[in-house]
Amino acid sequence: MAEVFSGKDAIVVQDLTKRYDNFTLNKISFHVPMGTIMGFVGENGAGKTTTIKAILGLIHTDGGKISVLGSDSRDVPKEKKAWIGVVLDGSNLHENLNLRDINFIMKRIYPSWEEATFFAYVKKFNLPDNKNIKEFSRGMKMKLSIAIALSHGAKLLILDEATSGLDPMVRDEILDIFLEFIQDEEHTILLSSHIISDIEKIADYVTFIHKGSIVFSENKDDLIYQHGVIHCRKEEARQIDPSYIVGIRENSYGAEVLIQNKDAFQRRYRQYQIERTSIEEIMLFVSRGKERM
Amino acid sequence: MYGLIWKDIINLKRYIKIFAVFFLVYGFMAFAQKDISFITGIFTLMFAILTMSTYSYDEMSQWDVYALTMPITRKDIVRGKYMLMLLLVLFGSIFSAVFAILINAVIGSENIFAGIGASFIGAAVVILFYSILLPFITKLGIEKARIILFVVCMVPFVIVIFIKKAVNTGVVRVPDQMLQFCETAHQYQYLLMLVVLVVCLSISYFISLQIYHKKEF
Repeated sequence: MAEVFSGKDAIVVQDLTKRYDNFTLNKISFHVPMGTIMGFVGENGAGKTTTIKAILGLIHTDGGKISVLGSDSRDVPKEKKAWIGVVLDGSNLHENLNLRDINFIMKRIYPSWEEATFFAYVKKFNLPDNKNIKEFSRGMKMKLSIAIALSHGAKLLILDEATSGLDPMVRDEILDIFLEFIQDEEHTILLSSHIISDIEKIADYVTFIHKGSIVFSENKDDLIYQHGVIHCRKEEARQIDPSYIVGIRENSYGAEVLIQNKDAFQRRYRQYQIERTSIEEIMLFVSRGKERM
Repeated sequence: MYGLIWKDIINLKRYIKIFAVFFLVYGFMAFAQKDISFITGIFTLMFAILTMSTYSYDEMSQWDVYALTMPITRKDIVRGKYMLMLLLVLFGSIFSAVFAILINAVIGSENIFAGIGASFIGAAVVILFYSILLPFITKLGIEKARIILFVVCMVPFVIVIFIKKAVNTGVVRVPDQMLQFCETAHQYQYLLMLVVLVVCLSISYFISLQIYHKKEF
């Protein structure tokens, strides 16, 4: 897939390679345009967290380049790091601290810490201010991390599975907060998740990683528009030009075929009715299709 | 970086009550026995040990990985721990000294400053000890470094006992030049101690920095 890098990208990942004994991140490239939400999807162990760690400079890479807010990810100056709000998979805060302690510490770490904003989120998320973090539920810890990420004037949010562990009501509320955040055209979000419905709801772009390689990194609406599903008999499926086929799912009644270049396909094969598809369906067809190859 | 030191200090606030109890118990014992020798330096040690607790807290919560996403560099994290260690040792020594003076005054000791020198020498030993230990903690994590801690404590004792035995039984004869050197060194002990501390700390800090820069999270 051709990557178009522009100066208006908040994150550019180019040919990133990282080798472990049992896993390799294989020359992956994608970019996150400023002012957008990039959904970063893939199954557990596909390489999402490794990629995010590389973007954050937490691991050393074996090849490639990453630029974050215009700086090399290995050497992002402190003033730019202060513009990045991060929510990791775990809580990473000391269990015996309370919210006032955290406010006190963050005030001394972030030059632009917004105490009023922090406590406004604490109130909004119903976080108990008289308890230590060890008494917080997983959802509460996640909400606290999100509150911290949103309370220091961040321009870029990097969220690793930030909505997992939250009940649907709260998740919806947090997705709305992310949409509000993105109203500023200088703000950007990279959101990794295995909850595809969240990505479908808010992302502008979707990057799909599968077994350490990028399968696609595209505009979400284009993806949905260019793909479609047709139902036909098994033998009919075999007669379709393979260049249109992304994946085939066969059952006793016939076959479901995910096709790409929907318009061109429709012009050539007028007999089929093309059904609208979803990101989740595309991912499933692509990953299963790949496994078959 | 100051945020990191504050983070450690706030994490240690739970020790205040324990320290208050120690303070009362040792104060009472010193008062009852009219002798402060056994408490000299005890607070220096107690405060110094807290440095290791902060490593445990950080490891338990996997704090470092989070901290490195903030406007904090790897160097800040290493430097923050060394500064915290020095602060705790300094605070412990001052606390020990003030405690010694207070008890001396209460029990009516002839020399009100008795025992203060020992508490500062204790501080120097603790700093030296941490200079060796901190690179190991940085490399291996606090749990594995506990074994090293044991070795670091035991080896000097074993060596001293071995040398003492060897000299006493006449197996080894100490050269005259060495005895002379020791006497000269004794005259300048405080200056020498300071130089040794600065050199050891600098080397230790440099090694820890190198180790931490290579770490992956």
